[in-house]
Amino acid sequence: MNDQLVTCTGLTKRYGGKTALSGLNLELGRGRIVGLLGPNGSGKTTLIKILCGLLQPTEGAVLVDGQKVGPASKAIISYLPDRMYFADWMKATDLFDLFADFYADFDRVRAMSMCASLGVTPSDRLKSMSKGTKEKVQLVLVMARKAQLYLLDEPIAGVDPAARDFILSTILTNYNEDGTVMISTHLISDIEKVLDEAIFLKDGQITLHDTVDNIRERENKSVDALFRDVFRTHDLEGGAF
Amino acid sequence: MFGKLLKYDFRSMLKQFAFIWPAALVLAVINRFTLNGLDSSSAVGETTAGITMLVYVAILVAMFAVTMIFVIQRFFKGLLGDEGYLMHTLPVRPWELIGSKLLCAVATTLLSIVVAICSILFIVPWDGVNWGEVFGGLRYVLSHWNSHATHAFFFLLEFLLFLCVGTAQSYLHLYLSMAIGHLFNKNRVAMSVVAYIAINAIISALLSFLGAAGFRFGFFDIINNTEFFTSRPEAVIHATSLTAILSISLVGAVYFAGTEYILRKKLNLE
Repeated sequence: MNDQLVTCTGLTKRYGGKTALSGLNLELGRGRIVGLLGPNGSGKTTLIKILCGLLQPTEGAVLVDGQKVGPASKAIISYLPDRMYFADWMKATDLFDLFADFYADFDRVRAMSMCASLGVTPSDRLKSMSKGTKEKVQLVLVMARKAQLYLLDEPIAGVDPAARDFILSTILTNYNEDGTVMISTHLISDIEKVLDEAIFLKDGQITLHDTVDNIRERENKSVDALFRDVFRTHDLEGGAF
Repeated sequence: MFGKLLKYDFRSMLKQFAFIWPAALVLAVINRFTLNGLDSSSAVGETTAGITMLVYVAILVAMFAVTMIFVIQRFFKGLLGDEGYLMHTLPVRPWELIGSKLLCAVATTLLSIVVAICSILFIVPWDGVNWGEVFGGLRYVLSHWNSHATHAFFFLLEFLLFLCVGTAQSYLHLYLSMAIGHLFNKNRVAMSVVAYIAINAIISALLSFLGAAGFRFGFFDIINNTEFFTSRPEAVIHATSLTAILSISLVGAVYFAGTEYILRKKLNLE
């Protein structure tokens, strides 16, 4: 087992003329909850997609648990994308079958009990489920794995504040404690209390990476307040398109 | 892992065709009775027979249309659309994803063809057939097996192989076009169509160039003038069909490699 779970060196991603990540260096250890914080367009989703193999970096290298991104790294990453990825014909139980087949760390019993506590009927067709219920199914799939690295892309962006607490508590009660959870968001006040570490991402570069305790002690303010100071000049919600 | 992928692709295929395949067969059986059983001189009988025939033909046309849509959708939506977020984060390699889709697509097409053939066999009135004669003839061929029969058997095998390889190659052509189309951030469908036409043009130019070169340098004279071939007309047919199968496979392999490269190195999900 490697000391560092994630190592990125000189990671750069360009889309045509636009640079999404620019020479990013990052090391992540195990057993932490990390906030990947930055305004829209700062490169959060790009970084997560590179880690889980949906994008290839233009330059630089990524190692997950000491290995290049590929089937071996995908087997230990549990990824929650910012969209629905189901085929319409499936039921939630079909997806549980699929996850149980492909991921050795998927715990079907836990998935069923999470469904019960989230009020999801797994034998319903996904087609007939509401958007909120589908999001819950996706969260169940991701959190019922005993993964080494959870990559959660904006898990709380589209839901109301009550549901946010619900989702966060589901994440906290179910993640593998030896593994690391990386949550990307721009809604910091909601998740600050659960974070061990925070990463500030700005224009494709990491401007800050430290433990939340250190940040609070050094800056004498909350991570949320610091974030607002740092990104004040940016349009937080709109981003620059 | 490849077997598991196949399992899910075949499962989605069965869901898709669970209605239309049985429907085609049932309608064929109904047509057998309306065509042969009803009194065709009465207006009612004739109209009923006409309508059931129309529905049967419509179902067959729909079956092949659905097959085509299925093949395209399973790749475009399943690997390049939102479902791609699931498929490309599974611990499998891109070639396995493409291979599984391809095998399932070819199997679906062959099954649709089998269903169509069976349905026709269901409609045909076999009343006038003397089965004794048919089986007698078959028994005669089997008991007097000779080199002609062996050649006929291999012609049939070559034809079936040609059918499978040809279907696979034309689907790989579609896959590569869609993979190229998805590289664009806008108008992906339109760009896929453009890519399809462009690939077609390039490949046919290349093939006619190779054909002309073969003619120029006398490769075809080998078949025309060598004693081995001139004394064995069957060998010419075997050589021709195997060359066709081989060249189609080669072009298909190039399509596969191109698609695999794009999914591995240039994946560009929305």
